[in-house]
Amino acid sequence: MSTDNDKQNALALDEVGDNAIESKETEGLSQGKIVLRKFLRHKGAMISIVVLVLVAIFAFSAQGFAGIPGWWKFSHTASGPVVNPGGAPTWSFANFFSLGDHPFGQDEIGRDNFSRVMKGTQISLVVMFIIGIVCLIIGTVVGAVAGYYRGWVDSVLMRITDGFVILPVIVVGSILGVLVGGANGPLLGVALGCILWVGLARLVRGDFMSLREREFVDSARVAGASDFRIMFKHMLPNAMGVIIVNTTLIMSQAIVLEASLSYLGFGIKPPGISLGQLISEYQTSFATRPWLFWWPGLFIIVIALCVNFIGDGLRDAFDPRMKTIPSWRKMKKAERMAQKEAK
Amino acid sequence: MAEKKAEAQPKTGSPILEVNDLGVQFWVSDEWWMAAEHLDYTVNAGEVLAIVGESGSGKSQSSMSLLGLLPSNGRATGSAKLNGRELIGMPPEKMQAVRGNDISVIFQEPMTALNPVYTAGYQIVETLRVHLDIGPSEAKQRALELMRLVEIPDPEDRFHSFPHQLSGGQRQRIMIAQALACQPKLLIADEPTTALDVTVQAEILKLMRELKSKLDAGIILITHDMGVVADMADRIIVMRAGKVVESGTAEEIFYNPQHPYTKQLLEAVPHLGEGTDSEAFGGSIDDVEASLSDITSDQASHADDPVGAPDSAVGGDGLSEAGAADMAVAEARAQVTAQDRPDIEMDSTETYYHPGSQADFSKPSALQLRDAAIEYPAIGRKKAFRAAHHINLMIAPGEVVGLVGESGSGKTTIGRAALGLLPTVEGDMVVNGTSIKGLSNKQMRPLRKEVGIVFQDPGSSLNPRLPVGESIGEPLYLHEGMKGPELSKRVEELLTAVELPTSMRNRYPHELSGGQRQRIGIARALTLRPKLLIADEPTSALDVSVQAKVLDLFEGLQKEYGFACLFISHDLAVVERIAERIAVMRHGYLVEIGKSSQVVSNPVHPYTQRLLSAVPVPDPQEQRKRREARDAVLEATMNA
Amino acid sequence: MIRFILRRLLSTALVLLVVTFVLYLLLNVALDFFWDLRASTSPNIEALYESRRRLLDLDTPAIVRYFKWLAGVGGCAIGQCDFGIAWKSGQEVTEQLQGAIVNTIKLITASTIVAIILGIAVGMISAIRQYSGFDYFITFVSFLLYSLPVFWVAVLLKQYGAIDINNFINDPTLESWWPIIIGCVAMGLFWMGALGGSAKRRVITFVAAAVITFGTIYYILASGWMQHPTIGLLGVVVIGAGAAIVMTYLSTGLKNRRVLYATLITVAVGALLYWPLMNLFYYVDMNWLWMFGLFIVAIAVAVGIGLAFRGPDPWDTARTTSFTAIIVAVLIFADRVLQGWQEYSDDPAINNRPIATIGASAPNIDGDFWITNLDSFTHLLLPSIALVLISFASYTRYTRGSMLEVLGQDYIRTARAKGLNERTVIMRHAMRNALLPLASVVPVDIITMIGGAVITETIFGWNGMGKLFIDSLRQAELDPVMAYILITGLLAIIANLVADFLYAVLDPRIRVNA
Repeated sequence: MSTDNDKQNALALDEVGDNAIESKETEGLSQGKIVLRKFLRHKGAMISIVVLVLVAIFAFSAQGFAGIPGWWKFSHTASGPVVNPGGAPTWSFANFFSLGDHPFGQDEIGRDNFSRVMKGTQISLVVMFIIGIVCLIIGTVVGAVAGYYRGWVDSVLMRITDGFVILPVIVVGSILGVLVGGANGPLLGVALGCILWVGLARLVRGDFMSLREREFVDSARVAGASDFRIMFKHMLPNAMGVIIVNTTLIMSQAIVLEASLSYLGFGIKPPGISLGQLISEYQTSFATRPWLFWWPGLFIIVIALCVNFIGDGLRDAFDPRMKTIPSWRKMKKAERMAQKEAK
Repeated sequence: MAEKKAEAQPKTGSPILEVNDLGVQFWVSDEWWMAAEHLDYTVNAGEVLAIVGESGSGKSQSSMSLLGLLPSNGRATGSAKLNGRELIGMPPEKMQAVRGNDISVIFQEPMTALNPVYTAGYQIVETLRVHLDIGPSEAKQRALELMRLVEIPDPEDRFHSFPHQLSGGQRQRIMIAQALACQPKLLIADEPTTALDVTVQAEILKLMRELKSKLDAGIILITHDMGVVADMADRIIVMRAGKVVESGTAEEIFYNPQHPYTKQLLEAVPHLGEGTDSEAFGGSIDDVEASLSDITSDQASHADDPVGAPDSAVGGDGLSEAGAADMAVAEARAQVTAQDRPDIEMDSTETYYHPGSQADFSKPSALQLRDAAIEYPAIGRKKAFRAAHHINLMIAPGEVVGLVGESGSGKTTIGRAALGLLPTVEGDMVVNGTSIKGLSNKQMRPLRKEVGIVFQDPGSSLNPRLPVGESIGEPLYLHEGMKGPELSKRVEELLTAVELPTSMRNRYPHELSGGQRQRIGIARALTLRPKLLIADEPTSALDVSVQAKVLDLFEGLQKEYGFACLFISHDLAVVERIAERIAVMRHGYLVEIGKSSQVVSNPVHPYTQRLLSAVPVPDPQEQRKRREARDAVLEATMNA
Repeated sequence: MIRFILRRLLSTALVLLVVTFVLYLLLNVALDFFWDLRASTSPNIEALYESRRRLLDLDTPAIVRYFKWLAGVGGCAIGQCDFGIAWKSGQEVTEQLQGAIVNTIKLITASTIVAIILGIAVGMISAIRQYSGFDYFITFVSFLLYSLPVFWVAVLLKQYGAIDINNFINDPTLESWWPIIIGCVAMGLFWMGALGGSAKRRVITFVAAAVITFGTIYYILASGWMQHPTIGLLGVVVIGAGAAIVMTYLSTGLKNRRVLYATLITVAVGALLYWPLMNLFYYVDMNWLWMFGLFIVAIAVAVGIGLAFRGPDPWDTARTTSFTAIIVAVLIFADRVLQGWQEYSDDPAINNRPIATIGASAPNIDGDFWITNLDSFTHLLLPSIALVLISFASYTRYTRGSMLEVLGQDYIRTARAKGLNERTVIMRHAMRNALLPLASVVPVDIITMIGGAVITETIFGWNGMGKLFIDSLRQAELDPVMAYILITGLLAIIANLVADFLYAVLDPRIRVNA
């Protein structure tokens, strides 16, 4: 903690030797680039991004999207002959290198589980991103306005968020699900986005309130900037950390929420398909056809876990106080290495 | 335990701490980064060793390493012996017995250094009971004794107060009481007065001097303030970038510095009274006695007062010239003072005008405050707070007026109100001939061209997400619609004007040093060639040597651009150097205003006297004289 | 303070009113009150529609109906609640609510308490051992728990936590030693990471934890403990003594012999009272009032013991002995409950499958106080685990973050500079400050927990509010849904109030300012 200060102060010392530092003609890194660099060093987040992108590419390419056909041989609606007894997966540990026709197995009427899980992943991802975008927009605008103007605007907006916080999201989500649920994923996403933005709005508000007290905001105002310019050119970029991190975390909640609602029957309903809906449809067959339960569940968990880790990586990257303090062992080890090299 | 202590307490003059080749390193991005090295010094009982240096010199970290209190990525090498016991590499269990018992620490920030959820008394008792085998009631008695020792009023009440219920000075006293609890052999005071106002600092320094003679412990005083050093130190170590550049007795360092850095450092420190021919107030005890007699006795004769009476007479003249209706208050004041040297109570809220300093609103001016009151507006259920009352102040075009006061005096409030960032609720605020009272942000916009501001914290006043060139160019873009190469050219001109290379325009604030950032801040304020500049503590976050450079630059620019300036600062020496007139604020009232030389050498309001006498000067001999005066003033104005 | 709380109460109550109004209108649009008639081919379909419309008063505008509903609810103020009726089943909503509220509160309280205790403990250790293997492990686990859908976990718990364990109880044959060995190594690693220290200490911790785990598992399997679980006097003494040592270590350090002896004597007194209490339980019919009374007596005795030891800080001693006494009391209570295991397990309604998967209590169980409690606990087990898993993660993360923040504060450095040992710095100076902000997290988490309960109750057939809500929503029964919204909203308000109050009590800065 103090070391960084010291480092900075060591820079300040150069002032004594007057402008020594200035001879360096390097163009500086912007804050954004520093954040990016820190983020790229976060192993968990990097692995998660790779996995998430792979899952998304697989899901969208396998089943096709928006009219573009996919490469997988079965459609998620077509039922075919049951290959293994009970529709068991043709891909297993014993037989690891041959996928077979139905690597994830089949259901009782012979539909291919792989294609269904891929299609479900598609829809779940789409819903997740829509929720994220809707939250991002509403949460940021409401939070920014409340935090910047304060006073009665803030009071009214905060009372509205109180109203959302009082009930669990799953309850309000179920009610909205009755209204808009069905086969239509995007519509459900928008509806859920409309209830999940509250937490983000509160955080953005808090951030704006503290940014407002920063002197650069005053100095922008003295320079003659309008409220709009102050909010969006000066304050918003500084609040980006909070916004991006929390939108990511909302998205990780969102995918679990969508799955839960679909499971309860208030989200995506057949013939629509999503990961939660698949589990709901097959829950009774857990004892007989466990693969129908495991695969969609696994994909929910992998997606949510990846998004969580990405959020964590982003938080660390945006947090100026965050410094990786190495463990004692690592320091000793590195020192030994250095001594060896010196010899 | 107690007996052991008594016998272990060394005699005055014998070495307590011997430091040999002490070094501190931090593990930063895969390498050990040196924070301090090759330190050698000894501390003797009853002696104050000052370690002086600017930020980043390693003075604090090297002292923390004595107690094993380095952050987890730090390590200490070398040797430090406390009465022969090696401290470096001592196992934690043994070190715990040393901390607080043999060596104790006074930290800089009394606000954050005390645990907010425990009472002041509890925190002292805790220290006592960790090291001494005593029961709670005995510990409480001792804690109360300690609180009396550090002169806390109503110790029985304060014992049960939480830190947030105490003032900054009281919190620091609790901190000291806690540090003294087990009669340590060595006391490390890490910038003990830096976070405090100058008059509180004076009280704490006075207390520490008294305790030093009572306790006979060795003291390591870590500070960047040469005035504090001159006041306290017996011997001095000057550190720079982790190395000792010079060490010696206080006299040697102050009167015969050898190392160029020490010389540079001493030259950079502004010295109160430098700008005036006569000596600054508080230079000798006579000075104070004269004015004290005013405070204490109405019947006192003022025959020996050299300037008081004639000054006041002129003051009356100046006032009759002004003759404005809203000057009624001041007029009444002047009538009283016409005959005699003004006899002002400490709590008086009326303004004393030195001759020639009355606000004459008929003349052209850069800034006028006419009986103005300024409020922080109500937010939600938080009530509005009036931070400045009945302010009459005028700044002529091209004039630099210094505004001094301690924290909470309302000096920043006035600056912000002049910029339209806070509303003027009563009276009037006229900037460059236009009243800005009640104007909305939109209406203010055209007027903003003519006013600039330099903020205190150069780190916070620049948008961290914008390259500094863009920050500088923003006013030009907003007011003159300037874009592209034309804008770049102007930005580069400005950078040259503040003596920075033009390539710096693409840098981000976090890449610059504090001094560079403040130069950028000045460049930005001057972009539109304003007629009025508000400088809000522009140098208080900077190291002295940097401060000197920035002040030089500022003076040069002021002459070149010819702007009027309201220079807000808590540091009288800086203000005296830069301002033609000085206004003094206290608790939201303007209490005194006059030419810099008048205010500094002949203050009238008791508060100004107190403020002036509290400033330590970087000269041990002069400070020794001032100290007597200071203690006398503090004594007389104790309850203010 | 009171004014502040009243104002909060009033404004939240208004918000709740608005929420119910909006949701009432929304539900009127969303719900299909004729869903069961849509597919009907009945000849008198028109009449059926008409009678439904009359039954639900659908010709009145929704806004007017809302105020009628509100008037009925407002009747609670004078003791005449009218939440309306669930039209499909024809039951009064007030009737449906009675058991449901109690069941839900039972479930949520149990889970919240367990989650808070576990979450805080693990979060604090994780923060103290920042960037250690343990810390990374806990971080990973908490992210994993965040990512788990409750319903998915619940299905797994049903299979592996209930069905398989019940099977194992009836047929205790071990198929492989591997799970046990892996379990022992895992426990060893866990404690090694949590306790930390030098390399030598780590090895000792690892070996000790692994051996103790193995011993415990071996004992459980070899003695048939699974079939006849019991704690017994010996268990009370051993676990109690362990608790006494841990409590002493945490509160004053083991160097303070006075406190150590006081806590050990507390355990001894508990052990001496074991048989008398068993006799009391045998001869007198117990109820919760009795339990509460005995609990108070236990604490009083412990405080007495603590004070009797005098010393410079009698109340510190008393505090530690009372915590120990609470643990001993709970042990004795648990022991007595478990004594009914055989009887319970043999009951035809249970049929030797003691871990329940459905419902809040077994039908047709008639036993004394102990049997009904045992029944209730076996039913609570799985749904609580499902809920705890979810909020445990958030408490851990929150405590960790808050603790790290506090550990970086100046006053922690001051505390160290005073010469306090690490235990005192953490337990006395860091913990209290780190837990303060938790007061604002608990109500939020309770609301999340209520949401989680909706799913858990549905899956485990737990007759609580959540299940009532989902069932009613599926059947388009407006009144019970509204009742659910109102009551959970009130619960949320109460949780918030309690949190505000706690905060004010714990934080001197607020206490004085408000």
